[in-house]
Amino acid sequence: MSETPKLVLFQCQWCLFAPADQEWVDTQLPENIHLAKVPCTGRINPLYLLNAVQGGADGVMVSGCLPEQCHFKTGNIAARRQLEEFSDYLNHIGYEQDRIRFLWLDLQDRGIIQKELAAFEAQITALGPAHNLATRAAEKVGGVNA
Amino acid sequence: MNLILKKDHLNHLLNAWRQEYEVYAPQSLQNFTHFLPLQDGFELAFDKAHNTRIPPKALFLPTSEALLKFTRFGGYEEVPSETAPRLIFGIRPCDAHAMTMLDTVFEQERYTDPLWKARREATVVVGLGCHEPCQTGFCTTVGSGPFNHAGLDAILTDLGEIFLVETLTEKGEHLFTQLETASEDQSMHASEVQQAAAASMPIAFETEGLKQKLDQNFASPYWEEVSRSCLGCGVCTFLCPTCFCFDIVDEAQRGERVRNWDTCMFRTYSLEASGHNPRPSRVERTRQRLSHKYSYWLDQINQIGCTGCGRCVRYCPVGLDIRAMLRKAHQLPSEVLHA
Amino acid sequence: MPDINALKAEAKRILSEGMVDIVIGFKAGDTPLHPQPAFFKTPDEVDQLVYNALCQNNLATYLTRFPKTQKIGMVVRGCESRSVNALVFEGQHPREGLYLIGVPCDGIIDWRKIVEQTGEEVFSVIEQSDNTVLVEAKSGFFTLEKETLLHESCARCIHPNPISADVVIGELLPEGDPALACEKVAAFAGLSMEERHAWFRQEAERCIRCYACREACPMCYCEECFVDHISPRWTESGTTPAGMQGWHIVRAFHQTGRCTSCGACERACPMDIKMTYLTEKLNEDMRRKYNFEVGLDATTAPPFSTVTLDDKSRFVI
Ligand code: SF4
Ligand code: SF4
Ligand code: SF4
Ligand code: SF4
Ligand code: SF4
Repeated sequence: MSETPKLVLFQCQWCLFAPADQEWVDTQLPENIHLAKVPCTGRINPLYLLNAVQGGADGVMVSGCLPEQCHFKTGNIAARRQLEEFSDYLNHIGYEQDRIRFLWLDLQDRGIIQKELAAFEAQITALGPAHNLATRAAEKVGGVNA
Repeated sequence: MNLILKKDHLNHLLNAWRQEYEVYAPQSLQNFTHFLPLQDGFELAFDKAHNTRIPPKALFLPTSEALLKFTRFGGYEEVPSETAPRLIFGIRPCDAHAMTMLDTVFEQERYTDPLWKARREATVVVGLGCHEPCQTGFCTTVGSGPFNHAGLDAILTDLGEIFLVETLTEKGEHLFTQLETASEDQSMHASEVQQAAAASMPIAFETEGLKQKLDQNFASPYWEEVSRSCLGCGVCTFLCPTCFCFDIVDEAQRGERVRNWDTCMFRTYSLEASGHNPRPSRVERTRQRLSHKYSYWLDQINQIGCTGCGRCVRYCPVGLDIRAMLRKAHQLPSEVLHA
Repeated sequence: MPDINALKAEAKRILSEGMVDIVIGFKAGDTPLHPQPAFFKTPDEVDQLVYNALCQNNLATYLTRFPKTQKIGMVVRGCESRSVNALVFEGQHPREGLYLIGVPCDGIIDWRKIVEQTGEEVFSVIEQSDNTVLVEAKSGFFTLEKETLLHESCARCIHPNPISADVVIGELLPEGDPALACEKVAAFAGLSMEERHAWFRQEAERCIRCYACREACPMCYCEECFVDHISPRWTESGTTPAGMQGWHIVRAFHQTGRCTSCGACERACPMDIKMTYLTEKLNEDMRRKYNFEVGLDATTAPPFSTVTLDDKSRFVI
């Protein structure tokens, strides 16, 4: 695929411990990556992911803190359960599970997010644009429900 | 004028019409029938059911449609209302009758809905009478009938090998110019079939004085009783050919103002911005549905707002039967009850 | 099938002894295919009680309509009893305020399967003792095997016997085979991505957004459903492809770890849309990953309400 994929990054506001990384995400994220900052991955309702998918995202990345380093103690592992199931479930009906990814960041990590995003982008580029699930688009008159 | 259409000639005729119109006729969709545009090699599904699952009102008032498109920084554009010529074939009299009632809603003198009007004007409606009326329908009870002419340009009567065609309007005549005229005997036969069909339908409930009973018992515990098992879904109203309520929503993310079907059976239908809901429970909502059809329509156009198609009876997930509800309503006391 | 007289006697007893204020069960409908949920307040009213394989609703859906102080009796089958347990766990009604009359259930008939064979004009349906069903229709008399008429959810039921009922009327049935229940999910998962998606789209895009599936489900009791939110708007309103798919995806997902596979949603749908293949996938995942089945008691938290560090998740590093 020649087109750059559309990606959405849900980023926990605590997970980037290095100010330089956070600043990069805040100001220099490539244009094809849409940033949604959240107070904790535990705040991510699967509906947010659905919104990204129906908005035309080819891939969704969630970045959060390592399991025992959650600012709110267990937000991230609660999110992990729900989001993993949600991605399995979307896979069941036509949105490949590899298009949703959970990234765990450690206190010591520096410059990881850039690399991971690039790797994720390469992976999604290989998968091609998401084409199965319907996206929000101008409606037509007609069809079964006309 | 009465004409004769041989059954084995029907497909040929439909195909001829397809040159001029987009032709909709009942065809199978999953386990039920639906008005779908005819494609090459179509198969009609008249025998499967009397009425299509979704009433043909959906061809004039789609479940969802865009009214206008807008952009974030000002400017909007209306969706054009013209419709290519269409022909609906095989509509049952109850459904066609319902269309004439909806016209009184959408084509009022002061407020005319351009989309509805354009679609109505572009559409010719050919009906198929019910020589073997259905079990749940009660058209004769509510002043319609299995061969009612309201809303139709032509109506067919099934006489075995042939259909007798009665053209009712100019539009209808234009469709059947090639057919031979029916003999006196054939016309006689058809009218016998028509009368026998109507006569075979029992009167489902008494309509005389029903409106008064409903009005007088506005605060009766009757409503709580009949609505107790109601789920508050949209089945009885969405599938009803005379229900027309809609909601207008701005889909800001894609820049469209859309109109979606809505129903008085939903909690959000009457929910006000303040949080107050004048119809707070299924009791009031059920009262609204029944009273609208059997009282308020009478105030407005002096007709019962139900054509007895029987869909709500057939498909209510908890088996609530409007006929039984109204039979019970008729037993209510006549004196005015206060809350 | 339980002895209807024993059922009535028990319902009358708990009403007359003041153990409950109301008994929720079924009564004969006004049409032959649809018995109606019914609410009996006095022992005399209980004479109308019926119970048969056409009783297609999950009665637990009415539980959340009553004040928590009300003492409620309910006729429950396997799935209904588990729904009640799940609702009790979610604090929707205190267990002490409930009296469950359990009936072992040999399956609910999907009326659509009758109509498919007999035509839409049905006059009467009688269940016979040899597991056949005698249908009188305009097109004639039909003797149909009950097994072929069962709703899919019932054909694959694992727990036909009521769980934690206060009394059980009728003989207990053998438990269903869990392997059978997951067969269908596995078969679906075995299709290609495109085939699975084509099926999903074909089903979802018939939806008219009537929400009968939601209202029929005991676990959809939200005061305000996500589709009714205006701001934020979670998914499109109306019947656009995205709107219909969004509705189907999320309604089912909200049942993860809460759905008892009763199939009431599917049976309520006026468009004959299949939807249990979604919830069953989620149920199967809960079984496989967390060894969890909903409603086996009223105290075990479902997986999404608990957290552990040692999930075997794809998302674990
Ligand atoms: S279809 Fe039945 S359950 Fe649904 S709103 Fe109508 S009466 Fe109530
Ligand atoms: S109220 Fe029921 S019977 Fe009457 S027109 Fe509507 S759907 Fe048909
Ligand atoms: S989602 Fe459907 S099958 Fe599951 S509990 Fe609700 S009604 Fe029953
Ligand atoms: S679909 Fe979800 S939000 Fe809507 S009522 Fe059901 S559980 Fe609640
Ligand atoms: S019951 Fe069927 S048509 Fe109605 S909202 Fe649910 S899936 Fe859609």
